[in-house]
Amino acid sequence: MEKVHTTCIYCGCGCGLLLHVEDGRVVGASPSPLHPMSLGRLCIKGWLAGEFVDHPDRLRYPLIRRGDRLSRVTWEEALSLTAASLRAIAQELGPNSLGVLTSAKGTNEENYLLMKLARAGLKTNNVDHVARLCHAPTVAGLSYAFGSGAMTNPIASLAQATAILVVGSNTTEQHPLVASYILEARGKGARLVVADPRKTQLAGLADLRLAPRPGTDIAWINALLNVIIQENLIDQEFIDARTEGFDAVRQTVLGSTPEAAERISGIPAHDLAEAARIFGSAERAAVVYAAGITQHTTGTDNVQALANLVLATGNIGREGTGLYPLREHQNVQGACDMGALPDLYCGYQKVAQARQKFEQAWQTKLPDEPGLTALEMLALAEDGRLKGLFIVGENPMMSYPDSSQIKKALEALEFLVVCDIFPTETSELADVVLPAASFAEKEGTFTSTERRIQRIRRAVKAPGEARAEWEIISDLLHRMGVPADYASAAEIMEEIASLTPQYGGVHYDRLGACGLQWPCPSRDHPGTGILHAEKFSIGRARFRAVEHREPVEAADDEYPLILTTGRSLYHSHTGTMTRRTSLLDREVPLPAVEINPEDARLLGIRNGQPVMVETRRGSISLEARVTEDTPKGSIFVPFHFSEAPANVLTSQALDPVSKIPEFKVSAARIRRS
Amino acid sequence: MSEYIPRLAEIVDIDIESPNTYLISLKLLDNENFSYKPGQFVMVSVFGLGECPISITSSPTRKTLQLCIRRAGKITNGIVDCRVGDVLGIRGPYGNGFPLERMKKNIIIAGGGSGFATLRSLVNYIVDRRGAFGDVAVAYGARTRQDLYFMQEYKSWQQAGIDVGITVDIGDESWKGDVGLVTALIDKFRLSAGSAAICGPPVMINAVAKKLMDKGFDHSDIYVSMERHMKCGVGKCEHCMIGPYHACQDGPVFSYDKVKSVL
Amino acid sequence: MAFLPQERLVPLLTLLSDRMEVVAPILVEGVPVFASWSGQPLALKDNPLMPPQEFFLPQREVLFRYIQDCGSYSFEEAAGKARLIFGIRPCDLRALAVLDRIFGSDPMDQSYFDKRRSTVLVALNCNEPGENCFCDHLGFGPTCSEAVDLQLTEIDKGYLVESGSPAGILILKEHPEFFLETSQSHLLEKCEMLGQAREAMNSCIARSLPGIKEAIKKADWNALGRTCLNCGSCTFVCPVCHCFTIQDLGVPDGERMRCRDTCLLSGFSRMAGGANPRISQGDRMQNWYLDKFEYIPQRTGLLGCVGCGRCSRVCLAEMDRWSLEVKR
Ligand code: SF4
Ligand code: SF4
Ligand code: SF4
Ligand code: FES
Repeated sequence: MEKVHTTCIYCGCGCGLLLHVEDGRVVGASPSPLHPMSLGRLCIKGWLAGEFVDHPDRLRYPLIRRGDRLSRVTWEEALSLTAASLRAIAQELGPNSLGVLTSAKGTNEENYLLMKLARAGLKTNNVDHVARLCHAPTVAGLSYAFGSGAMTNPIASLAQATAILVVGSNTTEQHPLVASYILEARGKGARLVVADPRKTQLAGLADLRLAPRPGTDIAWINALLNVIIQENLIDQEFIDARTEGFDAVRQTVLGSTPEAAERISGIPAHDLAEAARIFGSAERAAVVYAAGITQHTTGTDNVQALANLVLATGNIGREGTGLYPLREHQNVQGACDMGALPDLYCGYQKVAQARQKFEQAWQTKLPDEPGLTALEMLALAEDGRLKGLFIVGENPMMSYPDSSQIKKALEALEFLVVCDIFPTETSELADVVLPAASFAEKEGTFTSTERRIQRIRRAVKAPGEARAEWEIISDLLHRMGVPADYASAAEIMEEIASLTPQYGGVHYDRLGACGLQWPCPSRDHPGTGILHAEKFSIGRARFRAVEHREPVEAADDEYPLILTTGRSLYHSHTGTMTRRTSLLDREVPLPAVEINPEDARLLGIRNGQPVMVETRRGSISLEARVTEDTPKGSIFVPFHFSEAPANVLTSQALDPVSKIPEFKVSAARIRRS
Repeated sequence: MSEYIPRLAEIVDIDIESPNTYLISLKLLDNENFSYKPGQFVMVSVFGLGECPISITSSPTRKTLQLCIRRAGKITNGIVDCRVGDVLGIRGPYGNGFPLERMKKNIIIAGGGSGFATLRSLVNYIVDRRGAFGDVAVAYGARTRQDLYFMQEYKSWQQAGIDVGITVDIGDESWKGDVGLVTALIDKFRLSAGSAAICGPPVMINAVAKKLMDKGFDHSDIYVSMERHMKCGVGKCEHCMIGPYHACQDGPVFSYDKVKSVL
Repeated sequence: MAFLPQERLVPLLTLLSDRMEVVAPILVEGVPVFASWSGQPLALKDNPLMPPQEFFLPQREVLFRYIQDCGSYSFEEAAGKARLIFGIRPCDLRALAVLDRIFGSDPMDQSYFDKRRSTVLVALNCNEPGENCFCDHLGFGPTCSEAVDLQLTEIDKGYLVESGSPAGILILKEHPEFFLETSQSHLLEKCEMLGQAREAMNSCIARSLPGIKEAIKKADWNALGRTCLNCGSCTFVCPVCHCFTIQDLGVPDGERMRCRDTCLLSGFSRMAGGANPRISQGDRMQNWYLDKFEYIPQRTGLLGCVGCGRCSRVCLAEMDRWSLEVKR
């Protein structure tokens, strides 16, 4: 039996684990005691991370569409058809009729090569990935405020906090290792405030629980700041020395009294005042948030509101303080770092400013027209203006909002290539399907939500003819006339390091069990745990006044309930891997909509009864789960299940800055079916 | 050979018992002896879907091995979606079965819902060995008339001198019999204390057991067949733990005093 | 009994590895693990986080293959492979003794015993217990309390080797060139080393069987359940835990797999109809403790905990696993 050190693929925590291999097969997994964050611990998903690898459903051979069937072909056929079709479309309609959707589940090397393929190969900046759907507001908001969109501290730093505010994150279920540090701090006496419309496990352990009406976060966060200013709990010294723009914020929150915020958010004013005191008077306070903050049309403003709170109290740049955005997929951070974004190259270098640098490095002309975001690409596809799409490791049919719209868009494409490890609802629509190697079958790196760059290592052979994506993309690059003779993933990282200042010192030989936290500018640099300690990369951190705006859809007579979507501990993303893992599938085998007992009684709905949930966009059928955990007036649907795909219901209303769709608020109704 | 390798059995007949329940008759392909006791169960495989525990519905005194299967999940759905001639895997019989040697001559059998499937084995066993038993009564309740199993057999039980009481929770025009709880049926029987065999939902088991104890039954003479999640059937996987016992080996039949606390 | 000079250990293992797979604690990216040994430096300081129990009860294993043929099926089983596990510690050996009783109860679990029989165990007594170890408080260790093919104790300049089975004696007999005669002083040295180990353990951890049993009686299971993050780690690292599930992979041909399971998940005891006899996380945790300290002893005569301390290392909840107090 061999054991291979690698990184968990199920969430942004990025725990270290070992895969156990016997006779060329993954037979188990176990935690890595040397990993600096996970310290020999894993959540249930991590323990079972290797199980889907040898599932019989894996894609084994390249397929191309012949009529309404996908038939097996050779790699040569599949790739030359792909290259030829993309080239033909570009010739006819221009390069911007093509697009690339990468995946936050892919490695850094793959995301880097894909953005290179889009820009240097296809000559378009139309490249984007799923972070748009969970954390684009973090990147936009925190880049503005601090100069970097990343988590400010290592996760372990949370254990040193004396007060923690958790907002819109079901941490124990979605980022269990982060939750363990929050519990550790709490065990040592830290005060815990949890703001979530649902009564999460963490909310049950909190000193104070705030239950805002969905979509009202700015209102109550501003009220915290209001009290903090009123009671002089601000860190004036820090504000003076290291920030700018506080006065505008002070002006704006003047009116945001707890009483005013109570009217909007439904949180009792005295709770808000108490939360403000807990946070404002703590020696070291930290804010943890996740998609509950970002997946709103006000996502970027929500993030700024939290940044304002942290800056006003000087809780940044020190152990036990800071802002902790929690990324869903294992490599949302890395995919962003690698510039799988329409306006940025790797290392957040703006297309507008860094084009020459990359033209020189890649020895080719690069497009200057700004690219499109994922949903913009799909909208154009529906109009017939975007004709060719290359999707790697992503299943927009399930994970993007308003599925019926997405389906129309994908069907309107002239040419769709999908590269994945399992057949998905999206690959069913493809013209070419490319079988990819899973994390256990290839080399690469992921960057965890705490900016830790860590390796995955090949433990077993890929099934059938499946290949690592980096090899597939290199091949395509080559066919597009861009030299790409990478002998290994390590070589790609060398190129990344040479073009990405934050990754400058990242080399495979340095990435042992601990990885490296960026910024790591040079080979002798040890990596950086706490950001913004001495100074902000933009000089002074920026306050920005933000105000409450009502969500685009409000409950009304026709659709009287507020639907929010989210995830469960036992599944990840669209469930392609977790639902093929026996224990995880058994734990939550079926989708269920959570509804408050009072609403259920009014509607005559019993626990376990089949119901229909409808919004203006569509409807799904599933079971009802009657629970106090969901507040009155709201319902909750997890989105891992293809038999009741939650995104049939959600809307494509976008945050104007980051273009994130509003997953967290849709007006809905529910009835017995 | 590994205990986990099943024997193969062909489906020779499928009967519908209720809208979601089927009576499946099996023939073992190895033609070897399959001996069992009322109250035992088998692990049934549908290859590709998996394995699940199913109590044996037929009596060992009769020729055909029969299982009563209710649609309740992936595997049970897979079984009932089979056709006559299809091949299933069978392991077992497992479990202790009803302790006929220790049970008193006078017996009351009380079942609720799908739990009655395992009791039918015992009833038919008694019918076939009538001389070995004294006063015997059967009390059976289901949700509606449609949910009642084995309707065509009640008469033969009565003919064998067994008191048969049937009740439903929700009556309708087509139902002329009792409506209400199984415990109410028991009141109607003229009972002398003896042994009891119960299977059904926990609430029902407790209610019946209490009633019987009021009527002078000793709690150690009341035998309860327990349902549990099971995977191995042989006391290894721990799914079926009931305190220190394994339902698959030490049970599924327990005397009421042993399992009272977990019901 | 014999003396194995320090420098002869690796040559001996090398020789044995011609005949069978040698498994030993080695470092992977610095992490000590039990894995196939082919000359890597041995990592004998700490007992690896994952016990060698997985060589008998793998996290995933094929029980048999089913092959469909004209509507009927035939089956194939894999044979156990010859293996030597070097460096198993007394606690993990004790855990195997518990598993032997559970998997050996009628009907015997063939799949487990195939591997058990084809494996030679070479144990290493503990001179330096880890910081979480408390085997001595449970009445055995840090020296082997069970018969084992060979047991080694590190003493000055080498190992005292004691055989406990024909397989062990055979190794001594077949390779006399590696071993030296032992003297009384070697045995004394062993006793002294282990005495010190015991003291070291007792001075750093105050745990006792009566204390643990008392804690189980008094525990507030609901409060404990509320802080448990359902990770299953405490069961996955435990050398005595052996819950498994059985699952099919593939149609029409495929494999019936045995996969590790954990009784701390709600789906573990949930029945097809949805009813669950252990409904809350607190219930499940209580059952885990009762199983280890009441039920397994009732069934096997041995405790279901061997004091390896692994579950305390991996727990995500903020609780003391032995006083069963929630930290706040
Ligand atoms: S917390 Fe996240 S990274 Fe860690 S084991 Fe669980 S899913 Fe994997
Ligand atoms: S219960 Fe904990 S200490 Fe005891 S054997 Fe299991 S892992 Fe080791
Ligand atoms: S290790 Fe701790 S958190 Fe994980 S399941 Fe066990 S008790 Fe719960
Ligand atoms: S079913 Fe496995 S122990 Fe009972």
